[in-house]
Amino acid sequence: MTRLRVMTREVAAGIDLTRQVPDRDGVAWLQAGDGLVGLGSAVRIDAGQGPQRFAVASDRWAALVDAADVDDPVGVAGTGPVALGSFTFTDDAAGSSMVVPTTIIGQRHGRAWVTTVTSDGSAPPTPRLPTARDLPPPQADRPRYAGASVPDLLWLEAVAEAVKRLTRGDLDKVVLARDHALWAKAPFAVAGVAARLAARFPDCFTFIDRGLVGATPELLVRRLATDVTSIVLAGSTARSADPARDAELAQALLASAKDVFEHRLAADSVEAVLGPLAPDLTRTGPTLLQLDNVTHLQTRLHGRLFGGSRRLTALDLAGGLHPTAAVGGTPTAAALGVIRELEGLDRGRYAAPIGWVDGRGDGEFGIALRCAELSGARARLFAGAGIVAASLPEAELEETRVKLLAMQSVLGDV
Amino acid sequence: MPDSAQHGQPPALRGPDAALAAALTDRGGVSVLLTLDELADSAQLSVPLLEALVREGLLVPRVDDPPRFAASDGAVVTEGLRLVEAGVPLAELLDLARRTDAGLRAVAEHAVDVFMRFVRDRVIGEEADGDVAAARLVAAFDTMLPATGRLLSSHFERLVVEAARARIAAESDQGRTA
Repeated sequence: MTRLRVMTREVAAGIDLTRQVPDRDGVAWLQAGDGLVGLGSAVRIDAGQGPQRFAVASDRWAALVDAADVDDPVGVAGTGPVALGSFTFTDDAAGSSMVVPTTIIGQRHGRAWVTTVTSDGSAPPTPRLPTARDLPPPQADRPRYAGASVPDLLWLEAVAEAVKRLTRGDLDKVVLARDHALWAKAPFAVAGVAARLAARFPDCFTFIDRGLVGATPELLVRRLATDVTSIVLAGSTARSADPARDAELAQALLASAKDVFEHRLAADSVEAVLGPLAPDLTRTGPTLLQLDNVTHLQTRLHGRLFGGSRRLTALDLAGGLHPTAAVGGTPTAAALGVIRELEGLDRGRYAAPIGWVDGRGDGEFGIALRCAELSGARARLFAGAGIVAASLPEAELEETRVKLLAMQSVLGDV
Repeated sequence: MPDSAQHGQPPALRGPDAALAAALTDRGGVSVLLTLDELADSAQLSVPLLEALVREGLLVPRVDDPPRFAASDGAVVTEGLRLVEAGVPLAELLDLARRTDAGLRAVAEHAVDVFMRFVRDRVIGEEADGDVAAARLVAAFDTMLPATGRLLSSHFERLVVEAARARIAAESDQGRTA
């Protein structure tokens, strides 16, 4: 049985976490200057495949925490032993795993800390803040198109077929995604991409795990002691450089029956899971969330875990919520069937939980959206759209085109 | 005030303008009209694609209620799909089509304005005989419409070639300095 030895020490706050991100073998979860950066690997938790992958990861994490020798005088969320990782969208795909880094640098609400971890029985080294790295220079070469898993025309036809089934009443909503493959003359620098994402989308959660890098506005779940929070996004519109036009677009989004319906289904799916666990759950929204390039409908759900549900970790809650209707559809099983039949895409870890959990069970998991899988000089970008009976296939195609271009612009000039 | 104006309808056209309007109507006319499904069948095109093009205003029915299309409309869509076959993603092609539509509408309006002010007005002013004026107007229009199409096509093709040369040269320079 692996026995973790863990030491956390407080360090001076004000760390630029983006300059702590290594270009290889790093994990990160960043938002508005706060977050966690992990270096190295003390233990990897392979969650395997199947619907039990979240439970498998949770059980292994619990066993590691139970056996760990922890020296943590800081004692806030994200200190002590922490595992960061990501999961696949579908049950049958491989690639779900978490890592306990050998060094974890954390910052939250004006406090900062460094944690060191060993798994071979040796004493962990005294935690010290590593020297900040220079951010890699911007990509010397622009990303170039290298095709898609599904040609646009077939994707348009798939959306039309989905609309037909939605109109027939087979289901209420389904999210269909597509991808773009890209190449460049030089390898993509993960740390540089993450830094640009964090700067451009400071309110989003910037993440890195095994080549998957992105900035998601969608918080699947945050669990801090008994407090549980989820931020649901569904329904979006492009932004305009003209403030008057931008305001018109935003108001049209709020007034759009199609978008509000699509959004309500996503929020309902989260409430259905969290409601029984937190009877005082409140739901605020939809309101508007305006990001750099897009305006979303947003609903915030917040409550306190009650009774036995307090034993559930952030990881458990993420596993229970996935897939929400924001990335799957309604009803879930029917939507997943349509995705499997029509989408023609291996989503990998796209649209699935990514985040962290600590030894107390606190943690945050987002949904891996607005992301790219980077592998050397190759990249794969993803974008999806929520389809309801009122959807127009060409509008969904255009929405995903804009989303793909936005992500491509972060990888380099386009 | 004429009855038609009182009822909010445009007044009936007379003389040379009526002849010109008739010529325009004939130009839009086709002998065989197809439903969208028939058009998809005959041109071996996807129904969802044609529906999308209609909603985008890029494929316009020759008659409405119910909408009917000319068989030649399918050939135009097939031309567009040759770009897709050559590698242009459909989403990008639709974006190009929207931009082209938006840009050309203003040019078309202006071209018609030029015709009305400098051709039609002059012909009507010169010809007292309405039938002769009508014949001159229709002949002028028949000459000018295809000529305009050829001019635009030729100019656009030249612009594309120029832009492509400049882009390729710029990329080559970047490659040398990288």
